[in-house]
Amino acid sequence: MYAYDTYDHAMVNARVAEFRDQVDRRMTGELTEEEFRPLRLMNGLYLQLHAYMLRVAIPYGTLSANQMRKLAHVARKYDKGYGHFTTRQNIQYNWPKLSETPDILQELADVEMHAIQTSGNCIRNVTTDQFAGAVADEVADPRPYAELIRQWSSFHPEFSFLPRKFKIAITGAAEDRAAVKWHDIGLVLKQNEVGEVGFEVLAGGGMGRTPVIAKSMRDFLPISDMLSYLEAMLRVYNEQGRRDNKYKARIKILIDAMGIDEYRRQVDAEWEKIRHVPIDVPDEEVARIKAFFAPPPLPVLADAATEVDELANANFIFKAWLANNTGAHKVPGHVHVTISLKPHGGIPGDATDEQMDLVAELADAYSQSEIRVSHEQNLILPHVAKSDLPALWTKLDQAGLGTPNAGLLTDIIACPGLDYCALANTRSIPIAQTITERFDDIKRLMDIGPLKIKISGGINSCGHHHAGHIGILGVDRRGEENYQLLLGGSGAEDASKAAILGPGFNEVGIVDAVEKVVAVYLGEREGDESFLSAYRRLGPDVFKEAVYGTD
Amino acid sequence: MAKKITGPQLILANRLDDGRAVFLTSIGTWSNNAADAAVAQNEAELDTLMTVAQAADLANLVVSVTPVVADTSGGVTAPAHIKFAMQARGPSVRADLGYQVSPNWEQ
Ligand code: HEM
Ligand code: SF4
Repeated sequence: MYAYDTYDHAMVNARVAEFRDQVDRRMTGELTEEEFRPLRLMNGLYLQLHAYMLRVAIPYGTLSANQMRKLAHVARKYDKGYGHFTTRQNIQYNWPKLSETPDILQELADVEMHAIQTSGNCIRNVTTDQFAGAVADEVADPRPYAELIRQWSSFHPEFSFLPRKFKIAITGAAEDRAAVKWHDIGLVLKQNEVGEVGFEVLAGGGMGRTPVIAKSMRDFLPISDMLSYLEAMLRVYNEQGRRDNKYKARIKILIDAMGIDEYRRQVDAEWEKIRHVPIDVPDEEVARIKAFFAPPPLPVLADAATEVDELANANFIFKAWLANNTGAHKVPGHVHVTISLKPHGGIPGDATDEQMDLVAELADAYSQSEIRVSHEQNLILPHVAKSDLPALWTKLDQAGLGTPNAGLLTDIIACPGLDYCALANTRSIPIAQTITERFDDIKRLMDIGPLKIKISGGINSCGHHHAGHIGILGVDRRGEENYQLLLGGSGAEDASKAAILGPGFNEVGIVDAVEKVVAVYLGEREGDESFLSAYRRLGPDVFKEAVYGTD
Repeated sequence: MAKKITGPQLILANRLDDGRAVFLTSIGTWSNNAADAAVAQNEAELDTLMTVAQAADLANLVVSVTPVVADTSGGVTAPAHIKFAMQARGPSVRADLGYQVSPNWEQ
C-alpha cells in the first residue's frame, strides 16, 4: 500500500489545522455560512436532513486493517456506531458534529486518511477495480496509476474550481468492475501490439439527469504520457465547460455539444503545448510508486483444500458463499473474498463499528492486512488462502457478514435516499430491504443468477440506477414517493443505459413489478442466459406486458 | 413583501454546532420537537417568525432556515411534506436513532 511521505503528512496536517481554524471562526461568527459552506465542502462536510455528513475518501478503495480500525473508532467515538460505504469507494458518517469534525480529521490524518476533494467541483477520489492486484485477468495493477493521479490532482491549483465535479475511474482488467464508462474520464489499461502497456482513454461519461456513456478518446496512450494528457483534457474542459447552468456543466454536456472529434482535436492541440513541460513523472518515480503496490509475498499453495470441501458438503450456505463471494486469485491456492454488506433486510453499504473492527482483525489474520471497498458497496479481503476459508466464513457469519449473495439479485446498490439525504425525492433503502426480504431464498437467487439492481432516491443517480440491469429511480409525485422502473442498464464493459419501462409505482408496487420482471426472465430465458442477455434479446415489450397488462 | 403561503407553516432549521434539525417555537427558541413549533396561519405571521429565525441565523445559532407547510390535523404539529417530516422523526430505517426515539434522544 502507498505510505505517506513527509510532504503528504505535512499537507494533510496543515489542512486539518486550517479547517480547525475555519470551524472556530464559523462558530464565533467571524465567517458567515455563505463564506464557510465552500470551505466545509472542500473538507467533505455536508449538511443533510438530520445532521452534518462527513465523506471520507478511501483512495481507489484500498485500505489497511489499521485504517479500518480507525474508521471503526470514528464511528464509535464521534458518530452513532456505524458508517455507510458508498458507490464511490468512500465512507460517509451520518451524525458528526461540526465542532468535532477537526478532531475527526486529525484522527484520520494520523492513519493517512482525509476528506479532501470528496466534495466540490474538483477531481474526486479516483476509483478502481476492487480486485486490483489480486486477479489474473488484469494487464497491470491500476492502483499505482490511480495514486499518481491522486497526487497530481490533489490541490491542483488550476483544477480546484472546475465547472463541475470530476470523476476518474481506472481499470486494469478487460472485465470492467469499476464502471469506467460511466465516468468523466475512464482509463482502461491495455497492451499494444508490441507489448507496451498503456491506456485506452474514454471521456464524457456520467449519470445524473442526463446519463451518457463515455466515448473513446484514444485507443492507446503510453503510460509515460498519462498526466500531461489528463492535464490537457482537464484544461479544455475547464476553459469551455459551461458555468452558467450547473445541470449542463459536466464534461459529458461539453463533449456532446462540440462532438468527441472536436474535443479530441482541441485536447491534442493543448497537449502539444504542454507535453514537454515536466508534468509527467520520470520512470524512476513511477517505479517508486509501483513498489508500494508490489504483490504481497503469498506462497503458492495447493488448489484443493479438504477442510473447505468438508464444510461445503455439510453446510449449504457456506457452499453458496464459496460459489458467489470468492473468486480466483492470481496466486494458486488463494482467493479474493467479498464480504457482503447486503444482509437481507439490512441497509446496503452500512457497517457497524464492531463489524469494521472484525473485518480489520480478519484482514490481519487472513489477508495481509489489506481491505478493499467495492463500488457495489461491499468490502473485500483480497488475498486469502483457501484453507483459511472455513475459519474466516464462520467468523463473518457470526457477525452478520456472511451473506452469500455477492453478484446476485439481493446485492443491491442503494443511495441513502430520503432517510438521510437533503436532495432526495424518495427513500431508497426501504425498497432495497423489501426486495431482499421478498427474495430471501439463496437457492432461488442462485437460480436467477447474476442480476444487478441499483436504486437512487433522486435524479442525481448516486445509486447508479441508469446502470442497473434493473434500475429504480425515486420521484416526487405530488408529495408522494413514487418509483420508476428501468431495465437493461449495465455498468460493465458492455455498458448500456437502462430504459424506463412505463409509469411509476408506490413502494409496494415497485417490488411487485420487480418480481414480475424476474418471473418473465425465468420463463423466457434460454439455457443459462443471464437476465441482461435475455432482456437484450427480448426487448422491453414482454416485460411491459407482464408488469402493466396488455391494455 | 409577504410571500403568498398555501397553508399553515412552521420553520425548520439545523443547529449550527451539531447540525441537528430544530423547530422555531412561539417564544423564539429552537426545539428538537416539531410539536413545539410555532405555526403561522397567514403571511404576516410567517413574516414575523422568519424575522426571528433569520436573527438566529445571523447570531450563528442555526443554518438552513426553511419555512415548510405544517400539518396540524392530528392535534400535534408536524411538517406535512414527507421530506421535512423525516427531519422531525429521524431515518425511517433506523428506529433506534433520531427524534422518533425521543426529542431528547441524545441526552
Ligand atoms: C448524501 C449526500 C449526497 C449528496 C448531497 C450527493 C449529491 C450528488 C449530486 C448533486 C450529484 C449529481 C452531480 C451531477 O449530475 O452533476 C451526485 C452524483 C453522484 N453521486 Fe452523490 N450525493 C450524495 C451521496 C452519495 C452517495 C452516498 C453516493 C454513493 C452511494 C454517491 C455517489 C454518486 C454517484 C456515483 C453519482 C453519479 C456520478 C455522475 O453523475 O456521473 N453520492 N451526487
Ligand atoms: S441520488 Fe439523490 S437521494 Fe440519492 S444520495 Fe444522491 S442526491 Fe441523495
